[in-house]
This record gives sequence, C-alpha cells and structure tokens, in this order.
Amino acid sequence: MASMRFRIYRYNPETDTGPRMQDFVLEDVQPGMMLRDALLRLKEQDETLTFRHSCGEGVCGSDAMNINGTNGLACITPLAGLKEPVEIRPVPKLPVIRDLVVDMDEFYHHYRSVKPYLIVHDPEPEVEFLQSPQEREKLDGLYECILCGCCTTFCPSFWWNPGKFRGPAALLQACRFLVDSRDQATAERLEDLEGPYRLFRCHTIMNCVNVCPKGLNPTAAINTIKRLMVKDMI
Amino acid sequence: MTFRAQGLRAWLLQRLSAAYLALFTILAVGWLLFGEPVDYAAWRQLLGTPWISVLMALFFMALFFHAWVGIRDVLMDYVPHLKLRLFLLIAVAVLLLALAIWSALTLVSVYRP
Repeated sequence: MASMRFRIYRYNPETDTGPRMQDFVLEDVQPGMMLRDALLRLKEQDETLTFRHSCGEGVCGSDAMNINGTNGLACITPLAGLKEPVEIRPVPKLPVIRDLVVDMDEFYHHYRSVKPYLIVHDPEPEVEFLQSPQEREKLDGLYECILCGCCTTFCPSFWWNPGKFRGPAALLQACRFLVDSRDQATAERLEDLEGPYRLFRCHTIMNCVNVCPKGLNPTAAINTIKRLMVKDMI
Repeated sequence: MTFRAQGLRAWLLQRLSAAYLALFTILAVGWLLFGEPVDYAAWRQLLGTPWISVLMALFFMALFFHAWVGIRDVLMDYVPHLKLRLFLLIAVAVLLLALAIWSALTLVSVYRP
C-alpha cells in the first residue's frame, strides 16, 4: 500500500459560503498506521486542515469523526481496513466550528443535566465510601465512557430531537450513577428522566452500540433505567 | 391517560399491548387456520359468548392504544413543525377514537335481538 486517497470535509463558517469536500493523496503509507497519523501528515500538506486530537490512543476521546459514514475515533481506526477514497466528515448534527471540529455544547449540556456525580443525603462518612466488589462490578461497562460523542451524534433520536433527548452518552452516565450503591438520589434521577423526550425518545436503534469505540452498550444502560423506573413505580 | 404525553406509562402500555396483540393474533390465526370452518350463524354465536367479547374488546383496546403510542412517537420524531404536529395528533386521536367507538358498537350489537 504505497498511497491512499482521502476526501475530507472542509468548512470555515467565518469565511466560506458553504462546506466542500477536498481531495488529498497521502504517499508512503506505512503498515499499522492509524487515521490520526494520516491526518497529521495531511495537515503538513495543507496547514489549514483542522481537527481535534490529543492522546492518540483512544483514551481522551478528542478525535471523534465520521469515517466513511460511520462515527469513530481516528486514533484507533487503522488505515488498512478503510475503503478509498476515505471520506472524512465531522460527527453529524452538531454545529461545525471549523472543518472536523464541532461545537460540543449541546452534548455537554445533556451530560451535565443528568448530574454525573454522586449525590448523598446522609452525613458524609468519616472514612471512604465503602463498596463491596459485587457492588463495584455493577459499574463495569458504564464508567469507561470517554465522552467522545460518537454514540450521541450517531443516534437518529438525537438527530430528530437534539434539544430534548438526552442521548446515549448522557443516559449511560445517568445509569452509571443510578446503579452506584453509594448514590442516594435514585428517585430524583428517575423523576428527572420521566416524560416523553429525555429518555423515552430511545427506540433501541442501537447505532450507539455499533459505533462506541470503547465497546460499551448504552442501549442496555437505557433498558436498565427503564427497569428501575418500572420497579420504582411498583 | 395516554393523551398527556407521558414517558414511562406510554412505553409500558406499548409493551403490554404488544404482548397481548401478539398472543391474540397467534391464537386467532391458529383458530381460523386449524379450527372448523365457520358460517355466519356460528360466527355470531361465537361473538355472542361473553368471554370472547371481552377478549375481543381487549384486543381492540390494545390495538388502538398501541397505534396511538406508535403514531405519536413517529410524529414526535418526524414532524418538528409544532402546529402541524398538533393537528396530526388530534386527527389521529379522533380517528382512533371513532374506530374504538365503532368496534365497541359492533361487539355490543351481537347481543341485541
């Protein structure tokens, strides 16, 4: 594999009248290269190409983008499996700030809304909050989320109702604190997610599960919340 | 109950009605396929059986509630224009209500001499 072709979304809302796709050719592609490495080399060709990235190993969640029609993290997407020309766009629905950089305000708003921290009504204990290994196990598959936004921006329910539906990422976090043995705000959390929009816009389309770069399952988390609501009702 | 856009209740109703609809459909289709052929008199007699009438009434109720929640969901997702959505929701509600009254009258009419 000597060279690879790319088509990358370019848009600067301050100067451009509309978005366009720019073609790039990357020479001397090395085996094992990730998409992020390619983008960094392409940025040497055209310094105005703009994208977020940081850790380079799928931990920080900065470089979420739409790669050949599917959301993913550029830093852990190998070039080898990609169909050419590799079409790269910003993640859908969120407003574009520049090229592949999107405004995540709406996403973070929903994240903040689920109160992603422990709420304790009792007086705080003198020692640490203790948790048995079994109680701790319940958080597996929930706490690993890196908030890259791949799931929420690939969820049709979020596309239709971005202002009202919390989205898979925020609901996964809601579940993470609902099942935490140390949290005491279960009723309030459930009450807050009631109504037709915040949680119940989820139609188990499961795009979130397909694209999560950490292999998490927000749909299962949403179902857990529904079960808790039913239990709370009875 | 469902006219007010509730989350959990609507979802539960959708799930429960779906289970009833599935069960009823399997039994009804099985009965039509493998039961004895029925003429008009037998059909009338069957619908004149109170517990069958109750099952049928439940079927129609489940069907209309299920349709209401489903169509409401579709309209909430795909019709962002609020006035148009409200108009469509009312139209669907009126239609489903009319169908419900019609099916109720039909079920009751069997008991009249």
